[in-house]
Amino acid sequence: MVSTLITMVFRPPLPAVPAERQEIDLDVDVLFGAVPSRDLDASIGAVDEQLSSHGIRRGLVCSLRGGLFDACSGNDEMRKATEQTGHVPVGTVDIRDALTAEEEIVRLAASGVRLLRLFPVEQWVEPDSPGLAHVIEVATASGLTLLTSGDVSRFWRPFSGTRVCFLDVHSYRVADFVVLARREPGFVASTRMLVGPDNIERIAGEVGTDRLAYGSRAPLHDVMPSALRLRTARLTEQEWRQVAGGTATGWLGDGS
Amino acid sequence: MAAGGRGNGHGMAGGRIVIIDVHAHAGPWFFSTEVGAVETNIELMDRYGIDLQIVSASEAVTYDMVSGNRWMAEVLAAHPRLLGYLVINPNELGEAARELERHQATGRFVGVKIHTTYPDLPLTSTATTEALKLAAQAGLPVLIHTWDDGVLGLVDVLERHEELRIIAGHMGGPAWRTAVDAACRTDRLYLEPCCSITDRGRFRYALDRVPLGQMLFGTDSTLVDPAIALGVIADADVTEHEYEHVMWRNAAGLFGIETTVGLAA
Repeated sequence: MVSTLITMVFRPPLPAVPAERQEIDLDVDVLFGAVPSRDLDASIGAVDEQLSSHGIRRGLVCSLRGGLFDACSGNDEMRKATEQTGHVPVGTVDIRDALTAEEEIVRLAASGVRLLRLFPVEQWVEPDSPGLAHVIEVATASGLTLLTSGDVSRFWRPFSGTRVCFLDVHSYRVADFVVLARREPGFVASTRMLVGPDNIERIAGEVGTDRLAYGSRAPLHDVMPSALRLRTARLTEQEWRQVAGGTATGWLGDGS
Repeated sequence: MAAGGRGNGHGMAGGRIVIIDVHAHAGPWFFSTEVGAVETNIELMDRYGIDLQIVSASEAVTYDMVSGNRWMAEVLAAHPRLLGYLVINPNELGEAARELERHQATGRFVGVKIHTTYPDLPLTSTATTEALKLAAQAGLPVLIHTWDDGVLGLVDVLERHEELRIIAGHMGGPAWRTAVDAACRTDRLYLEPCCSITDRGRFRYALDRVPLGQMLFGTDSTLVDPAIALGVIADADVTEHEYEHVMWRNAAGLFGIETTVGLAA
């Protein structure tokens, strides 16, 4: 008789959410590569597993190598990784080298990349940096949608008039984001740090769910906190689907 | 059944305590959020299965200790699922001592809350240490806001005051690895995970190093939705044994909360 060892995995109880909210269509804040500040498996395979195990169908995936070390080789590995996994390619440039960034943005756009992620905080770039303004200008002229780190209250100005998702909009900045979004039709907030009980709902009520997009920052952050908050958000199902993928799908322009 | 050695009469009549939230607030905030009504506490507790919440008044934390604590006492008298932290401002130690005299006898305040941002005093300032001593003399655990490497300084404070028990709120925030180091050096420093920065694996890292008896559950509700802290626990691959201790058993022991759940295990 062959004995089988069955390992019982304990699942902490969580509030029930509707079945139609189990799958999040698009996550706008996904990275892969190496994380020098942590002991983490941030390989594309591990990231893919982290997303799928949390019910996230696809991510907008950018290379950490590109953001933290070398944009060109990072973008090359990003293209390979997204081709293999089916995630959405997101390019990047180093704002500290706006001259090289000019060429890289053109290269990215020519290869069909539709999204450019900027790392001003990680690259120690200030909001009034001439390089940042130039990179934004070149990217916008190339038709790219921008994703960016940084406190929206400090970094909004150079992005005025562009289509951009602020990935670090904190609960404490909800009012600032709303007053900006009222006059900036292209401004979108990622939900990751909208941790308050009514943050998502308040932004949705003030400026609409097309100004919100779900983001997790996998693999650097736990995914369940942001996913559970979104799944319990007091939105209509249509509004919920907009945040869980509709807004980001609009940036891709091809209905993918 | 008393959960700890200091059973003080708090309990859940006829109910099974599953989750005790040791870091919560009541009252309004100056941000763009409408969470000031105590009914919001209860609504969120119901939504997420939180049985008991230990709260401090937002007004007492951010502005006026005396009027905030007074309001908190009135709320606690009307809401049996809430227990209170009495907020102490280290800048007003004389008034803080009087606050303890005024409110401790009600039995509804089971701990002391000390912030560092609003009093503008570092964790290891003389005034903060004196405030911690007041709490120790009152026999109450302290929840203190921790957000940097200063959390390590609490080890020295605990060594000098053996009756003191401290919860490092937010488990150090971005300095969570330092908070874990600190909790490994003293068995009277407790950690709870509520934080808007949800670095991957942060809570598992702590569970793998800090004695389980020092790990607690907190949400920062109603400033933060409990989904955030519950999500952190869900992603930490906790065992059932760990879950039970983190979510209520350790808190019941620390605060002397009576429960209807057997505690022999």
